[in-house]
Order: sequence, then structure tokens, then C-alpha cells
Amino acid sequence: MREILLALVPIWPLLLMLRSSLWFAVQQGDPHRLGPRPHVLDPWWASAPLPAIALALWPGEAELAVEGWMLGGLWQIDEARRPWLLFAALLWGLAGWYARGYLADERHGTAHDDGEFRRLLRFALLWPLTLAGNLLLIVAEDIPSFYLGFVTMTLAAYGLVVHTGEREARHGGFAYLVMALLGEAMILAGLLWAAGSGEALTLTELRVSVTEAEQGLWMATLLWLGFGVKAGVAGLHVWLPLAHPVAPTPASAVLSGVMVKAGLLGWLSTLPLGSAEAGLAPLGEVIIVVGLVGAFAAALLGVAQRHPKAVLAYSSVSQLGMIASLVGAGLSAPVLWPALAPAVALFAAHHGMTKGVLFLGVGISEHPPRLPAWLIGSLLLLPALSLAGAFGSGLMTKEFLKKALHDSDHAALSTWLSAAAVGTTVLMARALWRQWRERGEHAIAWRSPMALAWLVGVLLAAGVPLWLPLGKHVHWPPLADLPGLLWPAALGLGLAGLVLLAALLRRGEPGALSRLHAGDLWWGYAALARWILAGLATLSASLEAWNSRVRSAFGKRERRMIAALDDLTHFEPHFRRLAIPLMVGVGGLLLLGFWLGSLVWPGLAGPG
Amino acid sequence: MSEAWLPVVALAASLLVVPVIFALPERAWRARAVVNLGAALFKLLMVMLMVYGLYQGRDYNFSFTVVQGASFLLQVDAMGLMFAGLSALLWLATTVYAIGYLEDSPNRKRFFGFFTLCIASTVGIALAGNLFTFLLFYEMLTLSTYPLVAHRGHPEALRAGTIYLRYTLAGGLVLLLGVVAMHVLVGDVSFGQREMLADLGPDARPMLTVLFVVLLAGLGVKAALVPLHGWLPRAMVAPAPVSALLHAVAVVKAGAFGIVRLIYDIYGIGLSHELGLLSLLTGIAVVTILYGSVRALSQQELKPRLAYSTVSQVSYIILGISLFGPYGTIAGLSHLLHQGLMKVTLFYCAGNYAEELGIHRIDDLNGAGRRMPLTSVAFTVAALGMIGMPPVAGFITKWYLGMGALQAGMPWVIAVLVVSSLLNSAYFLPIVHRLWFRQGPAHGQGRWPEERNLGRFETSAWLLLPTAATAMFSLMTGLLAGIAFSPLDLAIFMANGEYRP
Repeated sequence: MREILLALVPIWPLLLMLRSSLWFAVQQGDPHRLGPRPHVLDPWWASAPLPAIALALWPGEAELAVEGWMLGGLWQIDEARRPWLLFAALLWGLAGWYARGYLADERHGTAHDDGEFRRLLRFALLWPLTLAGNLLLIVAEDIPSFYLGFVTMTLAAYGLVVHTGEREARHGGFAYLVMALLGEAMILAGLLWAAGSGEALTLTELRVSVTEAEQGLWMATLLWLGFGVKAGVAGLHVWLPLAHPVAPTPASAVLSGVMVKAGLLGWLSTLPLGSAEAGLAPLGEVIIVVGLVGAFAAALLGVAQRHPKAVLAYSSVSQLGMIASLVGAGLSAPVLWPALAPAVALFAAHHGMTKGVLFLGVGISEHPPRLPAWLIGSLLLLPALSLAGAFGSGLMTKEFLKKALHDSDHAALSTWLSAAAVGTTVLMARALWRQWRERGEHAIAWRSPMALAWLVGVLLAAGVPLWLPLGKHVHWPPLADLPGLLWPAALGLGLAGLVLLAALLRRGEPGALSRLHAGDLWWGYAALARWILAGLATLSASLEAWNSRVRSAFGKRERRMIAALDDLTHFEPHFRRLAIPLMVGVGGLLLLGFWLGSLVWPGLAGPG
Repeated sequence: MSEAWLPVVALAASLLVVPVIFALPERAWRARAVVNLGAALFKLLMVMLMVYGLYQGRDYNFSFTVVQGASFLLQVDAMGLMFAGLSALLWLATTVYAIGYLEDSPNRKRFFGFFTLCIASTVGIALAGNLFTFLLFYEMLTLSTYPLVAHRGHPEALRAGTIYLRYTLAGGLVLLLGVVAMHVLVGDVSFGQREMLADLGPDARPMLTVLFVVLLAGLGVKAALVPLHGWLPRAMVAPAPVSALLHAVAVVKAGAFGIVRLIYDIYGIGLSHELGLLSLLTGIAVVTILYGSVRALSQQELKPRLAYSTVSQVSYIILGISLFGPYGTIAGLSHLLHQGLMKVTLFYCAGNYAEELGIHRIDDLNGAGRRMPLTSVAFTVAALGMIGMPPVAGFITKWYLGMGALQAGMPWVIAVLVVSSLLNSAYFLPIVHRLWFRQGPAHGQGRWPEERNLGRFETSAWLLLPTAATAMFSLMTGLLAGIAFSPLDLAIFMANGEYRP
């Protein structure tokens, strides 16, 4: 049974996708059909992650080996994968349900507008495909399946990002795709190098071969950077703030909640964390520093954003920087890893659920359900507080982290993380403020899919440690610890209040802030790339010119040669005229030669 | 047990059809289609029988002496069968495609006659048992392809044909010189008698190196190794099924297959390695891969872009076999099939766009995914495979190339692979993007260059079916690479034979 569920995890969404494409085939076969079109986003469509949820909740481990699958397929569900699978599938499910409401306008519009229908259909096809890729990479143990899942997720998500088809969406999608392909390239290089040096086919063997390889440090660096594009490592994070605001809200939620975690999971799957012989401590230190730099810089940049989803995207970069620094700590101090691993999983799940719900909340504040304003407000506030570490899941996660880092070489890290949480609090305040400013009118019923999905999400996100199958018990922090855990949130709130006050006094936001576009370094990269491309174009043009010069020189020489050969026919008549004298001459010469020869060597003239 | 008749029958199946086709009147297209398809199916069956026999350990060969010291030899080995299998499979698909493509166009009799002759030559190349026989069919291929390249008969086609002949005949001449020199040196070399050259002793080493370079130059013209690739992009004026065949199995592949034979069956991988010839080959392959990709980027038309992509992709085969070690061999040999399947799909798609919508330029493709969804899906699958994305066949090649690079102690090759993948994405993904994400005539913006409604589906079923079938095969050979008789399985079977004699 578990094996069947395991196989269904990626296959079920694909079957649902097939179903939607059959609808499409029907449409294509009969383009002039009148009447209402089928609902492409029906409840069946939203059931895509159900097998994964069932598998994650089903106790016990399972393994599915398929020899004919690529280079030997091996899918697993074990204790390490279970929390990841559960929170990913849950968030996908919630976001899918939410999407049914979010895209309701388009759904209703499809009866009349063919373009709208196509767009919706594309969404309906690519959503389960992205989902299948994401879940496959979680359960995959063989490297090809893992990479297949990763690539499928990455490429299919492009279609989700550019869903609206507007200019910003296309640009965001472009940034997403370019960065993702660069990441894929580094991942491929790292995987091939590491797998080749140890002839590894599974992720476990891969980690061993990174440990044992002479150039393990460089392999690990490639893998860190490659997956780092997804996981928002500072410098490679530029696609996040560009792609998130333009994607439809449910897509932003899974993008930030689950898909970026795939990068993190990539690190956990390929880097030899917790192995003392690996000698990757220097890389670990680098990861910690870069992670913390990202955590702080993203907070600073995020505050300057106006679009609430851009603010949330920067907050994701900041949070991912914190998680990355934990991974770095695990790499630089392998002894710590057994305690850190569940902390990282918890942090990832907490951030995934909470950030997902925050993104869903942006849509809610744009189209608020018919509920009392104070209720909506406080429900929007809850996940924000939780992410800042002042409530529920966030508070417990923080306590858990502190314990894991306690009394180790990296105890200072927890102070740094607390300081970064100040930034998170400010970001949350900023995001909520922007949401308030851009709030919409009460529009939807509270029983509508959108509102329901959000409500369930808020509840689930508030208590992540309570339901996450972590294999370890997460305690409520004792009262005495509370001041130590809450000061960043308090400080952040204070700061946010000061900024708000200043803004109110000055009637508007300082001009310097509005100049910080979302995507920060992207614009620099783009300018650099343009410059390089222009250089290359000049170079290739000059090469082309040289090539054609050489070719025309050859052509000229060839024509001259042919002409010379043609000229030879002029000699023909001369040959004819000269033929007889020539032969007579040759005959005479021969005779002369024979005669002379017979004089010198008497034996040659004849027998005798 | 020796069943000499099987390879002869397989060869004759294609050769004897040629006079029949030429004898049929121009108008009798049904009869021609039946003859063509029947012969193609029959050959596929013969090849399958031989594959089965080979796995059973049977041995087929057929020979007679032409002149003293040079004999005509057909023999069946795993490598030849692989090529013969590819040629049989794609012959069937391309015949179906060509029947649809050339509907109502003039000179169909001439076309199918030479088309069949061309395929017969590839079977001959695949089953040739020694250099002499190989050369015979290799030249036959050159001559039978010319009428196909110049089929349309307009000045551009004629010029392309001339350039094609110049390159390939010059290459053939160089190859002839090499073969003659080889005969002078060691006599008649059957493929697989590697010890003949290895036993020559150290004095002959410089001579062997020179000979290798001569033979490589001869074969490299057809394999489109840089800088001998100039004819390939120009030969693009040929009709789509010809381009498809040229790139996937016939001419370019014949060159690559010749190089494979040269390395494994004449010199032997061990000797090639000792002489340092493999590093030379690696260098040439790397340059070709990168150069082809860069040139492909700057092409504005679909078929030339695909042509430069072939220049680059065929060198993956060369790169694979030049990496010393079983993994490299597996990569090279399996790519022989993988590239064929994927490239043939891409050319079918290009042909479909050209026939149905009159599209030749890449920027006319906007929104074509909506008008021709199946063709566009096929194109997307094949393009992703070319980039090396899983689960399409190209990924399997790339994986083994990476393994092979490390086995040969050349990790830098991985960097080349990665750069090549990025370049491949840079010239394939924009096309895919145009197909699916841009608005075009199908969305009411502008018009297709020349729209014809060829069939009930998005285009004629004759065109659509082969496209869908080869795309399916490309996907399946990657997704189910681990099952028996997959290209990967065959390649592993052969690599084991090479390295564990």
C-alpha cells in the first residue's frame, strides 16, 4: 500500500494533468463549440497532492525500486523525508484550493474569452506538473529522479510566474528562468563531478563520494551555489523579489513556501552534513557569513519595497539566509548536525507554511471575505507575528533552535539570528502596512475556496511544531525564556513604529527608499550581461568579416585557377600542329639514344 | 551457426526496391507507397531478427573476394546492428513522413528512388565488415544523397548540392588514400581485428598516427567536424525529410559511425589511447561542440539553427568515444541513437511548420503551440532532450559523458558539457518560449506566412504520426533507459565487449 502511494505521489498529479489536456483536445477538436466550457480547476484538479499527504501521514518507511526507470529508480519515504513531504504537500493543497477561488474571475470569463480560457488551461496544466516535480524530488533517492524532479519543477514554474502575460510578469519570468538555468548548470556540474568521482547513483552514495573526493570542497561549492539560486543565497537571490510580485498569489505562495525549500533540500541531500571527514569546514564558515549577510541585507532592501509581495519575497531571502547559516553551522561543526537537522527541517516547515499563508493573505487583503474587519486583521497579523518569532510556531521554532545551538562553538549564531529577527519584524510590519494601504472591498463569501484555504492555512501555520512529524518533541518555551525570545520582535515593532511616525510626520516616504528597485543586483547583472553580449557581437562580426575575406580570397584564387585551366585549351591546336614533328623528334632522339647506348654498353643494343 | 543470408537479405531488401521504384510510373503513388513501406517494414524485421540472433550469440557473415587482397565482407556485430537498427527505424518513420511531405510535388519517383538507395547505403555502411566494403557504401551514400539535396532544383539547391559534392568527394578521396595506405601497410583489415595494427611494433607508430589523421580527415567531412562542417548548414535547402535523414542517420551519422569504427575496430581503443589519438579527438570534439552551439545562436531561421545544433551534437558522440573508459563508450554509442531520434523529431517539426504554416524563420513561430499543439509538444520534448534535460534521452548521454570524463581523468570536460548545455538552452528555449508563451496569429495577431489546412488534425496525419512517434521514442529511451534492448542497454552491452574481451 505504501509503495502504491509512493508511486502515486508524482503520478497522480500527472494523471490529473493528462485529464486537463484531454479537455484541451476536446476543445481543439471542436473550436466552434458554444455554451459553457468545463471548469478546468475543479475539485479533482485540487486533489493532486492528496497521495503525498496520505503517504506522509501513513506510519512506517517504504521504498520503491524500479530498475527500468532511467538509470535505476529508487524512491523512498523515511523519517528524514516525512516532514518535508507533509508540509510541502499541505501547502500545495491549500494553495491549489485557494487558486480555485483566486482565479474565479478568469474561470467565469472563460465562457466568452478564448484567450482567458487558454491561459487558465495553461495554469491548470503546469500547476500539477510543477507539483509533481516538487514532490518527486522529495521522495527521490536516485540522482536522476532527483534532478528530474528539480528540473521539472523549475521549468514548469516558469509558466506559473508569467501567468498574467503582462510586461512585468514576462520580465520577472525572464529573471527567474535565467537565474534558474544558471543554477541548473552549476547543479549539473556538481552532480556529474561528484557522482562521477565516486560512481554514485543514489544521493547517499553521492554524499559519501563528496566526502571522499579530493576536490570535495569544490564539488560542494558548486552544489551550494547551484541549489543556492533556488534557496536565495545572497547575490543569487535576485529572481525572488522580481518573480514573486508578478506571479498569481497562490503561485507566489508555493514558490516562496515550498519551491525555494527545494534548494535547501538539495543542500541537505547532496552535502555531506554531519560527516567529520569531509573537511568542508571552510565552506561552512563561508555559508554562515553569506547567509547572515543575506539575512540582514534583504531586510534592509525589503523595507524599501512598496509591493507587499516584494516585501514578503525579501523576507523570504532574509529567512532563507538564516536557514542557510544553520546549514553552514552544520557543515563547519559536523558534531552539531544531529541536533541541527530537525531544527532546520522545523525552521523550513515553519517558514514554508507561514510564508505561504502570508502570501495567501495578500490576496485576502485585496479581496477580503465578508467577515468582521478585526477578525481578518488579527488573522492576517497572526502569521506575521509567528514569522517574527513572537507567537505560536515561530516562538517554538526559535526556542528549539536556541537549544540546538546552545553550548556549542556556534552559540553566537543564535544571537545573530535573533538580531536578524528584528529585521523580520520590521519587514512584517511593512508588508502589513502596505497591505492595509492597498486593501480592497469586501467581495467574497467566507465559505469561498479562497477564504477557506486561507483560514485553514492560518490555523495550520500557527502550530507547525504540533503536527510536523519531526521525530522529536518540540516544547513550549518556559516563561523564564520568553524575554530572551521576544526582545527582537519588540525591538522590531518599536523600530517599525518609529519609521511609521517619521513617515507620518514627513507626509510620505523618503525619496531614497523609492529608488531601491525590487531585484537590486539583477539590474547590475543585466547591465553587465548586455555589455558582454555587445562585446561578443562585435567580436563575432569581425570574425565573420575575416571569414568572408578569407573565403572570397580563396574564391578569387579558384576562379583564377579555373581560368588558367581553361586557357590550356588554347594550346590544343598548337599540340596538333606540333604532333608529327614532335613524334619524329622523339623517335630520332630514341634512335640516337640506342645508338649511343650500344656504343657505351655493347650488351644493351641487342642480344649478342 | 552461420546464417550468412540474413545480412545479405537485409541489404538486398533496400537495394532491390530501387529499380522497382524507378520502374513504377510517376503517378502510381499508392503502389510506390506500398513498396516503400513494405520494404521498410521488412528491413526492420530483418534487423530485429539479427538483434535477437546476436543476443543469442549467433554469428552472421558473408564474403567474397573482389580482387586479390580486397574482399567484400558483410558481418553483423553489435555496433553495426545498432546503426542498422537506427536506420531501419527512422527509414520507416521518414518514409511515412516523406509520402505526406511530397504529396503533389514533382519528381517523386526520382526522390524515392534515391532516398531508398541512400538508406541501402547506410545499411551497407552498418553491416560492412572491412574498410573496403565500408568505403564502397560510403561513396555510394555520397552519390545517392546529391539528388536529394538538390531535389528542388532551384539555383540555391543546385549550389548547395555542388558544395555538398565538393566537400564529400574531397573527403572521400582523402579517405580512399587512407584506406589504400592501410592496405599497403597491413593488408585487408576486417573490423574487429584490432591486433593487426597493435602487433606492428613501435617503428610503425608514427606512420599509424599519420594514417589515423588522414582517415579522420576523410571521415570528418561527413561527421561535420569543425572546420570541415561548411557543407552541412548549406545543405539545409533540401526538403525536410531529407534534412531529417541526413542529420539523424544518413550522412552525418555515417561519418560519426566511421570514426567509431576507426577507433574501436581498426585501431582498437587501447592503441588509440597509447598513441595519444584520443586526446586529439577530444580536442576536436570540444571545439566542434562549442563552435556549433555558438554559431547556432546567431541563426535566424529554424533549419540552419538545427543544422548547427547537429554539428555540435554529433560531436558528443565523438567526445564520448574519445574518453578512455567504458562510460565514455556508453555515452558515445548511446548518443548515436539518442541524437538520431531527437534530431529527426526536430526536423520533422520544422517541416511541419513549413508545410502547414509556411514558417521558416524563428520569429514567425509566435504562438504556434496553439495552432499545432502536438507538433509543438514534440518539438519541446526533443529540444529539452538536446539541452540534456531529464527525462529525455539527451540526459542519459550527458550523464554518461560526465561519468566518462572523470573515468578518463578529464574533469574539465564537465565544464564543456555545462557550457554547451547553457548554449543549447540559449538557442532552444527561446523557440520553445515563442511556441507556447508568445501571442501570435493563432491569437489573432498578424497572419501565418502561408497557411494550408492539410488534414483533419493540425496538419496531415502522414506528417504528424512520425513526428509524434519519434518524440515518444526520444522520451521513452530516456525515461525507460534501464529496460532491456534500450539504446543504453545496447551501448552497455557493447562497452562491456570492448573493455572486457
